[in-house]
Amino acid sequence: MATTVLPRPKTYDDSFFRPISLWLTTTDHKLIGIMYMVTGVLSFVVGGIFALVIRLQLSQPNLKVVDAETYNQLISAHGVTMIFFFVTIFLTGIANYMVPIMIGARDMAFPRVNLLGFWLVPVSIILYYSGFFTGGALDAGWTGYAPLTEKAYQSHSLGVDFWAMSIIVWAISGIMASTNFLTTIVALRAPGMKLTRLPLFVWAQISTSILLLVVGAPLAAAMILIEFDRQLGTQFFTTQGRPVLYQHLFWFFGHPEVYIMILPGFGMISEIIPVFARKPIFGYMSMVMALFGIVFLSMTVWAHHMFTVGMNTYVETFFMVMTMLIAVPTGIKFFNWIATAWWGSIEFTVPMKFVFGFLATFLIGGITGVYLASVPVDTQLHQSYYVVAHLHYVLFGGSVFTIFAGLYYWFPKITGRTLNRTLGEWNFWTLFVGFNGTFLIMHTLGLEGMPRRIATYTNQAWATTNTIITVSSFLIAFSVLLFLINVVRSWQGGEIAGNDPWGGNTLEWATTSPPPPYNFERVPPIRSFMPLRDLREAGEFVDPEPKPALA
Amino acid sequence: MAGALMLSSCGGLGGISPIFPTPVSPNGQGIYDLYLLISIPAIIVFIGVEAALLWVVLRYRRSKQPAGYVPPQIHGHNGLEVAWTIVPLAIVLAISLVSFQELQKDFQPINNQQMLVVVSGHQFGWIYTYENGVKVDQEGTLAGDVTPFVVPVNTLIKLQFQGTDVIHSWWVPAISGKTDAVPGYDNFSWLKISQPGTWRGECAELCGAGHSTMQIIVQAMDQADYDQWMQTQLAASNASPSPSPSPSPSASPSPSPSASPKPSATPS
Ligand code: HEM
Ligand SMILES: [Cu+2]
Ligand SMILES: [Cu+2]
Repeated sequence: MATTVLPRPKTYDDSFFRPISLWLTTTDHKLIGIMYMVTGVLSFVVGGIFALVIRLQLSQPNLKVVDAETYNQLISAHGVTMIFFFVTIFLTGIANYMVPIMIGARDMAFPRVNLLGFWLVPVSIILYYSGFFTGGALDAGWTGYAPLTEKAYQSHSLGVDFWAMSIIVWAISGIMASTNFLTTIVALRAPGMKLTRLPLFVWAQISTSILLLVVGAPLAAAMILIEFDRQLGTQFFTTQGRPVLYQHLFWFFGHPEVYIMILPGFGMISEIIPVFARKPIFGYMSMVMALFGIVFLSMTVWAHHMFTVGMNTYVETFFMVMTMLIAVPTGIKFFNWIATAWWGSIEFTVPMKFVFGFLATFLIGGITGVYLASVPVDTQLHQSYYVVAHLHYVLFGGSVFTIFAGLYYWFPKITGRTLNRTLGEWNFWTLFVGFNGTFLIMHTLGLEGMPRRIATYTNQAWATTNTIITVSSFLIAFSVLLFLINVVRSWQGGEIAGNDPWGGNTLEWATTSPPPPYNFERVPPIRSFMPLRDLREAGEFVDPEPKPALA
Repeated sequence: MAGALMLSSCGGLGGISPIFPTPVSPNGQGIYDLYLLISIPAIIVFIGVEAALLWVVLRYRRSKQPAGYVPPQIHGHNGLEVAWTIVPLAIVLAISLVSFQELQKDFQPINNQQMLVVVSGHQFGWIYTYENGVKVDQEGTLAGDVTPFVVPVNTLIKLQFQGTDVIHSWWVPAISGKTDAVPGYDNFSWLKISQPGTWRGECAELCGAGHSTMQIIVQAMDQADYDQWMQTQLAASNASPSPSPSPSPSASPSPSPSASPKPSATPS
């Protein structure tokens, strides 16, 4: 058969508004994916509002926008919301949507577990915020170090208990999702989709799932021990116990978590660059091996967050060297991306702009990470604004920029409509300028001695820098507002995208936009990791639903 | 205001300095030099990679390519992969090595100190106990300057850190890195300040609502001034013995683990 004509799906309702009952009970990975993503974006907005209050409080010395107790709750809620409820959740959503389609499957392996796993997320979120209504939410930072979280120092509120429960539920949800992803990718690949032909985004999701599967349980264990201490009077992490043990347990999760938040982004970058540069990914196998190098190394570096607790210097050296080594696989990925774009014919669409925004900023986070890995230097930089700058360069410049790239790239597939390009350009440039304006000079505050998590400061020398940071942070807020307007407007009345607006390489572009509930009537033949491109080049691919002429 | 002047006179550019304050203690100097050393490869990599990105953006955009240009369909290159594995590996191992050397030089427990001070952190303040039992109570406040921790210049002082409730972290950037004051065990660090003056720091580990009040001031004096200050302290504490506010078992300061000061020697 010379031509694969994909069938036009039965009438497909591409509006967001479906009966509520459908949203509540669906086991369709795509709808669940959308719910995850919407939850993530809403959390981003909430966490961002917390950040703005934080920045107002710090914009000048000795301000009293909020009191110290509230401030500590705000930074904790900002960190927890961004990490647990925004980035991780959003990325689970986009993977939920894309992974089955990209491997030519009909759905996830365990659709009901998928639905349960999703609904545990709002439960977790509600549990966490309940703290605000029961005397005060967690106020020990997103890391919740003991013994500050112990009963002796937090007897006035239930915030810590709600946080611990919230995180336990979150970890269970994450373990469910990871198991589901791994099973799906192992068992439900379409014929011809060998492991060596998996899209790199799917490989990234394998790595992420392995990480979360391994470190989710220790996280829950740490939370359970905290609750034992608080409710049953045990002494695991109390002043009489071993507070530092908590840090080991927490960071055994906490460091891999930063890779859980970035590897899917790496995957998206690896998908997007080849499409817009019109070149295959450079070094596919080395990209896959680098992912697994990162997975392995990221579980051996946790104590680099503990270089000031007084460990043996040889132990510190071990963690320092392992941390430094992570720069190698990350560097490999970086160079492969650049090599992919090299000699390309690059079309700077909005997703591609975000990709380059990511590359330019994440690099800074990677380099400051090497400073922080060096034990002596870290004793200066640890717990200072340098770390806050560094972590936002990897999490915001890293994860958030890739999330935007992925969204602009896949939005047409998910909704059938393209995000408005002009608003998208504005979104990108204001975010890029606002982000760097906020976080670049933050490094210097840390070098000069401003600790993180301080509710206020008296040093006048830090005033101007802090004011610039606060002003820039409102530019970020403006940018996010543009983004939200763009999503709402484009979802309702955006330009019809067609099935393959970018000239994609992977299977999701071989079905309609949005895909029918069963994804493919017939999965196209798969002969490489770029099945769609193969078909197009062989002249066998016929767009199942050509772009309307009026679009 | 005085604090601002003090800080900026101590090397900071006032808000946007890309480097630590000028160090006044050899361990701080060690970190400072290491920071500069790491900055060499860091800046080279930064400029190199950003330049490559810029080149890609400017040169390989579709509008710059000839019409109908079809990019070469290259799938990889083993030699390049090996190169960009080995070169970063060599760089980070070299950085690890120099960091390890600094760790051995300035971060080992010392026992040739001339003086020992027990630094105890609590919610919210620091208590410094000298070998003769004199205590400086640096109670946290934002209303004005906290009571300075006074040390003689050019004296190798071992610091023994204790936490009596939650974890705190003692940090004065111009002196050296931070050390945590953890309940349950003691941590050690040292300082040897080269000139008279006043340096500021803060508690660096979130320890509760008063965290930001836990300011630190270290004041270094010439030996004569220091002796005089110490006499006043002794007289004051004899007149009114300060009530010991620390019932916690781990907090009992050990007044004289090495009562006889050893001859001066830097640990390097
Ligand atoms: C509007 C954009 C943002 C601004 C202005 C902002 C600002 C800040 C500031 C000023 C702090 C330090 C608070 C303190 O130490 O006292 C902070 C902490 C933090 N931020 Fe953000 N942030 C933003 C977005 C994000 C994003 C997108 C993420 C993650 C994806 C994130 C993750 C964190 C984390 C994990 C912390 C540490 C919280 C803690 O100390 O427990 N932030 N942020
Ligand atoms: Cu880490
Ligand atoms: Cu503190």
